[in-house]
Amino acid sequence: MDRQQEFVLRTLDERDIRFVRLWFTDVLGYLKSVAIAPAELEGAFAEGIGFDGSSIEGFSRVYESDMVAKPDPSTFQVLPWEDADGDHYSARMLCDITMPDGSPSWADPRHVLRRALSRAAEAGFTCYVHPEIEFYLLRDLPDDGTPPVPADTGGYFDQASHDIAPHFRRRCIDSLEAMGISVEFSHHEGGPGQQEIDLRYADALTMADNIMTFRYLVKEVAITQGVRASFMPKPFTQHPGSAMHTHVSLFEGDQNAFHDAAEPYELSKTGKAFVAGVLRHAREMSAVTNQFVNSYKRLVVGGEAPTAVCWGHANRSALVRVPMYSPGKASSRRVEVRSLDSAANPYLAYAVILGAGLKGIAEGYELPPAAEDNVWSLTEGERRAMGYQTLPQNLDGALQAFEQSDLMAEILGEHVYDFFLRNKRSEWDAYRRNVTPYELATYLPTL
Amino acid sequence: MTTPPVARDRRPARAPARLGFTEPDAGQRLADLGWWDGDDAVPAAALVVWALARAADPDLALTAVERLRESLGEAWSELEEALRVDQGLRGRLFGVLGGSTALGDHLINQPERWRLLRTVLAPGRVHDTSRMPSAEDRCRTHLDAVGADADADAPVANVTGPSAVELLRLAWRDDVLLLAAADLQSVCEPELPFWPVDAISGQLADVAAAGLEAALAVARAEVGAERVADVRLGVIGMGKCGGRELNYVSDIDVIFLHEGPADAATRLASTMMRVATEAFLEVDANLRPEGRQGQLTRTLDGHVSYYQRWARTWEFQALLKARPVAGDLELGREYCEALAPMVWSAAERDDFVADVRAMRKRVEDHIRHDVADRELKLGRGGLRDVEFAVQLLQLVHGRGDESLRGQNTLETLAALGEGGYIGRDDAANLAASYRFLRMLEHRVQLQRLRRTHLFPSDDDTAGLRWLARAAKLRADGRRDAVGVLQAERSRTTVRVRRLHEKLFYRPLLESVAKVAGSDLVLTEESATRRLAALGWSSPSGALKHVAALTAGTSRAARIQRALLPVLLDQLGHTADPDHGLLAYRKVSEALADTPWFLALLRDEGLAADRLMYVLGTSRWVAEMMPRSPEVLRLLGGDGPTAELVARDPAEVAQSLRAAVARHTDPRSAGNVARSLRRVELLRVACADLLGLTDVASVCRALTGVWAAVLQAALDAAIRERAGDTPAPATIAIIGMGRLGGGELGYGSDADVVAVCEPTEGATDQEATSYARGVVESAIAALGAPSPDPALEVDTKLRPEGRSGPLVRTLSSYADYLRRWAQTWECQALLRARPVAGDEALGQRFTEMIAPYRYPEGGLPDEQATEIRRMKARVDAERLPRGADRALHTKLGTGGLADVEWTVQLLQLQHAAAVPELRTPSTLDALEALQAADLLSASDAAELAAGWTTATRARGIATLVRGKPTDQLPRSGRELAGIASALGFPEDDPGECVDEYRRVTRHARAVVDRVFSAV
Repeated sequence: MDRQQEFVLRTLDERDIRFVRLWFTDVLGYLKSVAIAPAELEGAFAEGIGFDGSSIEGFSRVYESDMVAKPDPSTFQVLPWEDADGDHYSARMLCDITMPDGSPSWADPRHVLRRALSRAAEAGFTCYVHPEIEFYLLRDLPDDGTPPVPADTGGYFDQASHDIAPHFRRRCIDSLEAMGISVEFSHHEGGPGQQEIDLRYADALTMADNIMTFRYLVKEVAITQGVRASFMPKPFTQHPGSAMHTHVSLFEGDQNAFHDAAEPYELSKTGKAFVAGVLRHAREMSAVTNQFVNSYKRLVVGGEAPTAVCWGHANRSALVRVPMYSPGKASSRRVEVRSLDSAANPYLAYAVILGAGLKGIAEGYELPPAAEDNVWSLTEGERRAMGYQTLPQNLDGALQAFEQSDLMAEILGEHVYDFFLRNKRSEWDAYRRNVTPYELATYLPTL
Repeated sequence: MTTPPVARDRRPARAPARLGFTEPDAGQRLADLGWWDGDDAVPAAALVVWALARAADPDLALTAVERLRESLGEAWSELEEALRVDQGLRGRLFGVLGGSTALGDHLINQPERWRLLRTVLAPGRVHDTSRMPSAEDRCRTHLDAVGADADADAPVANVTGPSAVELLRLAWRDDVLLLAAADLQSVCEPELPFWPVDAISGQLADVAAAGLEAALAVARAEVGAERVADVRLGVIGMGKCGGRELNYVSDIDVIFLHEGPADAATRLASTMMRVATEAFLEVDANLRPEGRQGQLTRTLDGHVSYYQRWARTWEFQALLKARPVAGDLELGREYCEALAPMVWSAAERDDFVADVRAMRKRVEDHIRHDVADRELKLGRGGLRDVEFAVQLLQLVHGRGDESLRGQNTLETLAALGEGGYIGRDDAANLAASYRFLRMLEHRVQLQRLRRTHLFPSDDDTAGLRWLARAAKLRADGRRDAVGVLQAERSRTTVRVRRLHEKLFYRPLLESVAKVAGSDLVLTEESATRRLAALGWSSPSGALKHVAALTAGTSRAARIQRALLPVLLDQLGHTADPDHGLLAYRKVSEALADTPWFLALLRDEGLAADRLMYVLGTSRWVAEMMPRSPEVLRLLGGDGPTAELVARDPAEVAQSLRAAVARHTDPRSAGNVARSLRRVELLRVACADLLGLTDVASVCRALTGVWAAVLQAALDAAIRERAGDTPAPATIAIIGMGRLGGGELGYGSDADVVAVCEPTEGATDQEATSYARGVVESAIAALGAPSPDPALEVDTKLRPEGRSGPLVRTLSSYADYLRRWAQTWECQALLRARPVAGDEALGQRFTEMIAPYRYPEGGLPDEQATEIRRMKARVDAERLPRGADRALHTKLGTGGLADVEWTVQLLQLQHAAAVPELRTPSTLDALEALQAADLLSASDAAELAAGWTTATRARGIATLVRGKPTDQLPRSGRELAGIASALGFPEDDPGECVDEYRRVTRHARAVVDRVFSAV
């Protein structure tokens, strides 16, 4: 029993907590939870909790389905609200998934990211990220295909006063802070009902854990406020989609490896090669950073979202933005990857971004010149002339690029790679069969 | 460093070169100093010159002397005169100047300091080299240096800031200068006493403690004496400082505790750390409770409650070294008294064994990450290895024995020997090795006063030469000083490397075997505990095997007692040590009366090492080895020509056939054949597990021995059947499938078909009836029950399958093919190859089938489609229930069937046009396909890699599991064994699975493209 484990047990005792939720994430990024009583926790620390891996998306096959969830005591947090009975709290911990013999499971997204981080560590880097998470607040979540109704009619940075959930953002932030997740910034986003909350930077694994917690908390808080939250990448045809722009930086010890005062924009060679890596492999990793059929409805020309593989400084149409440097803040040199959406599996998405960037560093990729123009305003021909590749336009295109990529298989591990590919293929096939309202509206009256 | 050639015309330069001065102008420079004249030293200065020449680096020393003279100016003459008469001064001054540039610079900047090195310091005060200053004296000197009153309870300095730091630095350098001088004096003046490394490192710890005390006095002055008046601050030395075994340059590990106002105490502690770090050595307080996150200092109660409740085993391990070194010593003593009992009760905690294992793993992690063989400290055989092992034994056994509770590594090592926990000789030898490595570490650190633990690289001759001379090593007649240094270091490293065996296993063994006259006292309980901590899952079972192996007074038992410590250590690193030990016991019992067996293991370390690896990894080998232990003899062979790897399959076949022919009784012939086969199988399996051979050779050897056994069985059946009458038919056995392709694995059946041809005068009827009898009896003889891996012969590929006749005449076979041949039969014939029986008939059979397997004009489209459809059906149906397609070597993704079907389709299409494609071997065919541009180089390579990987994984999986299998496991001990034999790290066998899937996925991609689309 180590110190953190004892701390957990003591806290459970002192706060009279009746349930501990053990959380883990399946390959598609859905949060899974097992609730256990505190009395069982000691055993769970020692041996983990056995479960049937075959019923979790992407974990294992039916005949060898025994897997073990091992709670990571460093992630222990008390959930910031009472249980249904009104006077007890529950707590949660994130788990690592192992095989029955204790070796790590290669199906566990946390392990995928851990491996990517340990590769970075071998190269001498630690990886810090901070995401800007967008989502919609809606009146309800109809599941019969009728369009949802936004919870308000505000716009970018509006202080919406006739908001039906006036305390939503404050409650959210309080809850997040109570769970040890620091919020940097929050505001109303462009679409009606759309919110953005930016988290303070943390190492990539902690941040992926935080994002899983974030999504859960936001949904729960919305319910208490009589509304619903959704991280669907693009719920409205006419309003912007929900992105998860992520700022990434690498550190060597306490030095920011992306910073070099002697280079233009103070972006070091390492930083340039990292960006070059992300760009060169952007198409292959689309299926991970934008994993749903719906994700590609967001990546269209004219929205806030990137469509071409390029980078720039103040250029909000670029896939990677290198923000203007604030003088004297060497440690804040970072790059912003803008393709991710809010429904990505954060473990896998951060693993592939980091992996692609590290590949760029390891092989010394050359960074192409920055895009100065607004890429959306270019014609197709101009874009081609300037050598910009286009991001995949739908899940099928993304999977074709993904399927050709050894790098993705290497980063994700063969197991996750294979499962992901098969699962997403069948998602695409299921989608393809559907006749959409658009088709009906466009063709039925005229054909 | 290259040395410019000595100019011929400058005669004076040659003689100094003889003494070791390599600079060409050394003679002139010595002459300028007044010590050299013409060809020889000035007689009055001869002793000076010789002493200088003995310096670790004479050129460096000479340059430093010149600089010192310059720096001293007028005062030089006094030093020069003293050098001529004072042997001690010569040894110390030149020792330092030739051994440390950093201390040389210190001396040159403070030239008057040379007086500290004189033998007679002042009237009545002699530099007493037999005694070092006490810790109190040192403390006093350092406190004086910053103007603090050494007699005060809490001395306060009268200087602060940078000037205080400067004074502290000088005081520390002075002390280190004197210590280094004592350390190196006998290098230049061999008659002066030599200081053992433990004495020096103890003194270095005292100097550090004195420095801390003085830094604390400065800190008091900086924080404000009145503000800290109520503060009692204790400084506990940890690590090497606590153990009185400090290096010249090293972190000082400390823990603080206080009484009184916490904020003032914290301020005082942090100021002290800063001052000391700036002035001399980095002070590190991260061993404190909660590490970097914890408060810098705590009250005694705070410490006690932390350790009672939260501390982990390694933190107690760190506490082993705790010793009050500065500040309030009384408070420090209370701390040590309060915590010491907890260290020893730590060993009673439930998770102790698990934690100790984790610690052991940490030691080994150090090993893995630091492959640099220049490391003196980390790495296997380095200093850290000794220190951790000693501390581990201290924790395991110290709770019952107070004599083991010391702080110092060497003292504890001696105590472990005294107490009988390890052999006395082992303790003494290990201590000597430890001292030697520490001495080298001291020397390399002294050179520039840098924190380094690196031995000079092999091409750094100057560095090696310097180190050898600084370590006082001399040429020994066969080798020069550098040679001696390298030999000594590698001898030491080897000795330390075997320390687990000596420290962990030998005592265990002696206690179990109750060796007469042994001074070891390990109880059975502590022996079990120790084994469990070392990774054995059933320690009591293991101890029973050990007891059985070593029981009695026989010679064998004696040798086993000597061998087992090594063997157990090696087994301890395999996937299944417990099972391996059982197998070893069986082998030993099987060979109890064989004289060479134990001698081989004793004298050939490689054989023993390999035997333990294969026994602990492969159940298949563990099962077979006791029945054919003679294979052991092959395990010692090394290099590409050793019999273990280089036995020629044809020779094996020849000797097997000859041996069987000597036996007329079919049963004894069968036994001989089986045992020869067993030896060959074992040989191949061992070479395979040890990674000494490649897949192609394994397949070739396994196929060769199968074919030879088949041939021998056929010979015997013919002899038995025909007797002396002429046989009515000749018979040929045609290998199909893997046997035909020369690709058999450990568990493969042999697919064959048999053909015959009537001899002169016999009818077809007579011929087939005779041939059927012969073949049936050969198959029956092979299939007779035996404990060996089965010899199953499968004849279902014959025409009409199971309902067809077992043997056909060649012409009937030809008839059948002409009328009925189906596409799949033609495909199967691609792998047909005569393996036994009449060679001429085999040859005719081969010619007869050629038009079917290499169809003229290639394969008609509809037949190609038929093959593709058949493959699709096989993919969908053949995989056994519950099998995992991704990891099924035979029928899974990118596995054997995938690659072979692809190759065979291409062969059917192109072999008529491209004769090179006419081979039964998959790999040969792939090569030919690439050569003929029918496959791109990368496609051929991916297919070959998939096939090879699947074949090797299948073989190794069979060996590890002990029975034939086509499926790789996804986790567990079996996978760990497979991963290790395939060369993957043990801690995450998932990596092995990942790699397998990657290679086979690539192969499958080619199959999808080539097979489906041609």
